Amino acid sequence: MTNRLSCLSACIGLCLVLVPAVRAHHSQSEYDLRAKVEVEGTVTKVEWRSPHAWIYVDVTNDKGEKVNWSFELPSPTTLMRRGWTRDSLKPGDRVKVAGAPARNFPAIAIANSIRDSNGKPLFTGTTPIYEPEAESKGAR
Amino acid sequence: MLTTKHPSPSNSHSPVSALWPAMLLFVLATSPAVVLAQWLNYPTPGIPRLANGAPDLKAPAPRTPDGKPDFSGMWFANVPSRDYCREKDCIQEERMAREQINLGIKLKDGLPYTEWSREQMKARRANGGREDPHTYCMPPNFPRAWTLPQHIRIVQTPGMMVALHEFNGAYREVYLDGRPLPVNPNPTWNGYSTGHWEGDTLVIETNGIRDDMWLDIQGSPVTESARVTERLTRLNFGLMEIEIAVNDPKAYTKPWSVTIEMAAIVDTQMLEEICMDNEKDTRLYKK
Repeated sequence: MTNRLSCLSACIGLCLVLVPAVRAHHSQSEYDLRAKVEVEGTVTKVEWRSPHAWIYVDVTNDKGEKVNWSFELPSPTTLMRRGWTRDSLKPGDRVKVAGAPARNFPAIAIANSIRDSNGKPLFTGTTPIYEPEAESKGAR
Repeated sequence: MLTTKHPSPSNSHSPVSALWPAMLLFVLATSPAVVLAQWLNYPTPGIPRLANGAPDLKAPAPRTPDGKPDFSGMWFANVPSRDYCREKDCIQEERMAREQINLGIKLKDGLPYTEWSREQMKARRANGGREDPHTYCMPPNFPRAWTLPQHIRIVQTPGMMVALHEFNGAYREVYLDGRPLPVNPNPTWNGYSTGHWEGDTLVIETNGIRDDMWLDIQGSPVTESARVTERLTRLNFGLMEIEIAVNDPKAYTKPWSVTIEMAAIVDTQMLEEICMDNEKDTRLYKK
């Protein structure tokens, strides 16, 4: 598995870690973009569908309980244009994922970094801090 | 982006070298997901190219058989790639038009909102922008659609220009057959558009836009009272300029216009992005 992840990274030249998520079709106000969550676990499912891909990761918490985290990724179209395929991550892959947690729901986050178990960057995510007020001239 | 790797030419005349075509065919046939991810890197035929095979983006704008500029092809907002660094990791920033957030961002005083507009925007932004129709997978409405982060394919014929949008597989028709704009039409997301030529510029006039449309993420309105004029000029093969002029007395105190640039996108394909397929974000708004 590690070999597959390494091969993926080498093959498609991904030295990327973070990508602002303005491509997101939503406001991202549902996430606390200033907070950070980092987990390590095993991919249980990959949803390769619009408007956003999602991966699900089994994580063992401090109490020894298994929690299935949901991580939002960019759209499959964005990921494909960055060299990903629907097989880039598969159930069983060990990953380290960092992102911003949902404000009102546990174990849900938007991913901004995915690494293999050796810490090698695979991806590429989202999560800029978007502040429309900073952009709005003329509006009160 | 995924790149196709070809085997290096061999200088030897070993039997192995004779097998290269068969080996290549085998690789192509057995590894489509890795080597040819759909047509994401498939060369666009018939476009101007430099000696090294790269697209000649500064070549003259192509023309149709009747001599009009031809806007056909894929387009995306022309914005520079920038490095985005965070915690020692730097990547190439996602390309996006700043006009996607605020269509009037380049105007010194911003857009000339009416009081009605300001109240609308206050409500639209009250919940972090979650009321945005785009969030709820509604259609990409022009002129906002030019700035959205999906690709657009223009198909131009003598009597009609069609703009296909990746988001929701949407389309927009622009009639070039001389018909007048409709009177008191049923309002729609894109309204009703006709185009005429002024020299090498295609002037698109639109009315019949719905009363509750957004022009950008911050919620700048455009309403049923609007007359929108888009002036498309293909500066060269790789670049299109669009002046967007809005005359909407309900939403703005005076007519205004902004100019955006679109870059030709070649050697790739449109990718379907059906938003309702797996929309899971709006559930997170519920407390």
